[in-house]
Amino acid sequence: MPSPVRQKVMQHLNIVGLLQPALHKETHAPYPDEVDNAHYRAYTRMSHDVGGEPDVPIQWEEKEEEVWEHNTFVTCEVLAWRGVWNAEERRRRQNVDVGQTQYLGLPYYGRWLLTAARILVDKQYVTISELSNKIDEVKKRYE
Amino acid sequence: MAEKHKPAPMVDEVSDFEILEVAVRELAIEKGLFSADDHRRWTEYMNTLGPAPAAHLVAKAWLDPEFKKLAVEDGVKASLEVGIDWINSMPTNFGTPSDYCNLRVLEDTPKLKHVVVCTLCSCYPRPILGQSPEWYRTPNYRRRLVRWPRQVLAEFGLQLPADVEIRVEDSNQKSRFVVLPVRPEGTEGWSEDQLAEIATRDCLIGVALPKPGVTANAKLPVHPAVNPVDHDH
Repeated sequence: MPSPVRQKVMQHLNIVGLLQPALHKETHAPYPDEVDNAHYRAYTRMSHDVGGEPDVPIQWEEKEEEVWEHNTFVTCEVLAWRGVWNAEERRRRQNVDVGQTQYLGLPYYGRWLLTAARILVDKQYVTISELSNKIDEVKKRYE
Repeated sequence: MAEKHKPAPMVDEVSDFEILEVAVRELAIEKGLFSADDHRRWTEYMNTLGPAPAAHLVAKAWLDPEFKKLAVEDGVKASLEVGIDWINSMPTNFGTPSDYCNLRVLEDTPKLKHVVVCTLCSCYPRPILGQSPEWYRTPNYRRRLVRWPRQVLAEFGLQLPADVEIRVEDSNQKSRFVVLPVRPEGTEGWSEDQLAEIATRDCLIGVALPKPGVTANAKLPVHPAVNPVDHDH
């Protein structure tokens, strides 16, 4: 059934679709003259800047917290307490640097967790090998 | 419902999120970025947080016009009276690590209703109100509240007359907000504790109005955790 709300949502979804690297498109990394200003604006939009975007009502829910979510929150706060990162870079990394796909696709604390792992590697507190070895080691404990 | 016929997940199946969380925490401790004790102390601090101090701030403001003035002028100073020291009472002794110490108290009137959102992320006055509810963090709430506040409030069961102005306050990195609703009728002679009971979390975010006899948030479906935090610890 056609409705103004549905039309707005479809328009929005069409624009968002353009932001994904569509696998069916012939040209990736297009020539500069193939990106007009409207598309440039769409591509450079921050994925967390969602205020005012059209959407339809959903069922509001409460949620029980997973143990790993609670621990992730504490780890991120304590990393800040001990000076590993500050509020500005946390925000940029968790909300912007993850990109649209992970921003909308991962759980709330999933983004926090991935970002906490990345800060350890990016600031060279651990090497990527140390991180993957640790992940393997922890996995083995549960086998 | 088809959902119900899905086999339950294996109890001992561990998610990659759980694995990564343990790995990051243990590496940070092994590298000396923080200690296991830091993590434990912060967890204990977290477990003390909840909406009670903000509820008492509202109750006090309802009872004492001088305190209400202070709350609206200087939310951080007013918080001291309900036991919340934004600067010194946290384990850091320098305020929240998320770097915000500016609490604003938004005073409703019979013709003006405030409601709080954080369109860019999920900013919330944690020290005085506890952890934000999941719906507050959803892109859906953040998208729609600023454009269709009246409709969104109605979805929470709050239907406001057309002549009541709605003001949406968008939280940001440095500033956090609680709503000071109008004291409802039928609460004459009530004590601070009685009043605090009806100043629920939802009232302090602004998606509900306090009402005598209503001491809980609107009943919403609860998405259960696979491995839930036991808050009694």
